[in-house]
Amino acid sequence: MLKIENLHVTIGGAEILRGLALNVPAGEVHAIMGPNGSGKSTLSYTIAGRDGYDVTDGAVTLEGENILDLDPNERAAKGLFLSFQHPMEIPGVQTMNFIRTALNAQRRARGEEEISAADFIKLIREKAKIVGLDDAKLKRPFNVGFSGGEKKRMEMLQMAMFEPRFAIMDETDSGLDIDALKMVGEVVNSLRGPGRGFLIITHYQRLLEYIKPDRVHVLAGGRIVKSGGAELAAELEKSGYDQFIEAA
Amino acid sequence: MSGSLFINPTAFEIGLQAAFAARSQSSEAQGAAFERFAKQGFPNRRAEGWKWSDFHGALRNMTPANDGEATIAVAPSAFAALDPLEFRIVNGRIELPAEAVPDGMRYGILDPVATIPELESHAIATLNVAMTRKALGIEIGEGAAHARPVLIRHINTGAGFSFAQTLVRVSVNAQVNLIETYEGAGAGFYSHLFHMALRDGAKINRTVLQETGAGQIVHALCAAKVDAKARFDQTSLSTGSRLSRHETIAHFWAPDASANFNSAALVSGERHCDFTSHVLHKEERCKTRQLHKGVARDRGRNVFQGKFEVERKAQKIDAKMTANALLLSGDAEANHKPELEIYADDVECAHGSTAGALDEDALFYLRQRGLDEHAARALLIEAFLGEVIDGISDDRIADAFRVKMMDWLESE
Repeated sequence: MLKIENLHVTIGGAEILRGLALNVPAGEVHAIMGPNGSGKSTLSYTIAGRDGYDVTDGAVTLEGENILDLDPNERAAKGLFLSFQHPMEIPGVQTMNFIRTALNAQRRARGEEEISAADFIKLIREKAKIVGLDDAKLKRPFNVGFSGGEKKRMEMLQMAMFEPRFAIMDETDSGLDIDALKMVGEVVNSLRGPGRGFLIITHYQRLLEYIKPDRVHVLAGGRIVKSGGAELAAELEKSGYDQFIEAA
Repeated sequence: MSGSLFINPTAFEIGLQAAFAARSQSSEAQGAAFERFAKQGFPNRRAEGWKWSDFHGALRNMTPANDGEATIAVAPSAFAALDPLEFRIVNGRIELPAEAVPDGMRYGILDPVATIPELESHAIATLNVAMTRKALGIEIGEGAAHARPVLIRHINTGAGFSFAQTLVRVSVNAQVNLIETYEGAGAGFYSHLFHMALRDGAKINRTVLQETGAGQIVHALCAAKVDAKARFDQTSLSTGSRLSRHETIAHFWAPDASANFNSAALVSGERHCDFTSHVLHKEERCKTRQLHKGVARDRGRNVFQGKFEVERKAQKIDAKMTANALLLSGDAEANHKPELEIYADDVECAHGSTAGALDEDALFYLRQRGLDEHAARALLIEAFLGEVIDGISDDRIADAFRVKMMDWLESE
């Protein structure tokens, strides 16, 4: 599904990712853990196509298709979703309008029919209930005045609405209380299935108690230094990252 | 009048003097006004308040042709859906509506005002007083409230100059919705002087839209005298022109008056749009809110100059001014000059001003959600302007402004 080979990425001339390789097959959930500054967010921005993240070598393919030459919106239309570590506040943009505009832009790009206003409202109300956002929040300017936790709920609402083929969750768990963590688990587990993949970037094991990953990778010094099963997360929680920082 | 009244006159000023001399119907007061204007000439960039909008330079070499053609074909207004009572000032010539005069209202063609004391030192206003032949006068009778808006369309098609005045009086406790549009592909100079009197408890909702040809030079000045408990709301949208300046001068003569001024400038190409205002608070408990948003791309230039003045006896004034500029290209320009001049000690007055580019983080966020670059930029620009549009109480006018905004964004 998502395959990354020998990925080298520089930002402003500094090399951050140094030959990263990763393969997340369809239907699987992988977690990436690692110390601060190891390149986790660089990886997620590079996959999503942010300007200023220069790929100097390597390849990223989604279901065999090279996505590195695509614009961020084209990658989104291919089904790539990034749950942002720090979601934006966008004053003046009404939340429901924006999500509908985005959803329809993706659908049009895929040659699908646009969702009608009535179907959209029904759907977003249903999903908003799951992520714990009330109607009033949907009518407000996007994320404006929302708490950190509410912004993460808004990310999960969009993920539930877009039903992406591949989702990257960049520290979605940071700043969340237990109830919100459970909610994230619920959204991911409901979408989890054949034909869909997840990459969960996190510092801690606690989210992985709600979403059992198929594989856990340790990212340090710009490459994957260790991979294992779900038990690796628990091991890291105990031993910390020091051994990997030294190794990198 | 013989010889030049000007010191170092430009070709345009010499032409204006010849045109003025050739007129037979000018009053003595107009002659005096012309002489006062000639002493000053058009304001140049060295003049206080005109640094960024140099009328002297822009008009220097304009051909001093007289008022444009008499009759032209006029397309329906952008506000036709509101079924307004439509007045036109075509190349300076006033056309009254053909229909019956509504109850509670009077209008007609009047002699122009001979002098406006508070504008004596304003060169272009003084020239307007000298040159305007006839004025449009509208009076809203005591207590009248017209649901139907009054529309004044300023249409300029010529390459010469034209001058016009509008005198509006809103009587005690009367209300009116007034829309003004500046239109036409002309490449001349148009000066409009709007003199407004709001009596006790009167309300005016004034909407201004400028969408003229790029070559036009426009000076539109609104001088308002605001009495007790009167309310002056104004929303303006301008796409600028070669040189355009919308000036609002409001004097609060009595307590408890209020004003809400919202403006938006969308400038592209080489266009220039200037919103300048001066609110003088002379009495207590007046409230003023002002919000300006300017978007400039290419080599477009947006000027905002706002001044709140509070006299010593005008206590408990509550006045806030905000100006934000969004620059979409490296050559686009925004010039802001917010000013507070306060002599009273128990007031709440504030101003804020910002300028910046589109937020790259927000752009990437929107694009990650599936919007292409153009759509993402348009959404953020719309959001930036949203506050101005949201302040418009009439949905139909707000929609008309949204359409103009989209047209501008699409023309990118």
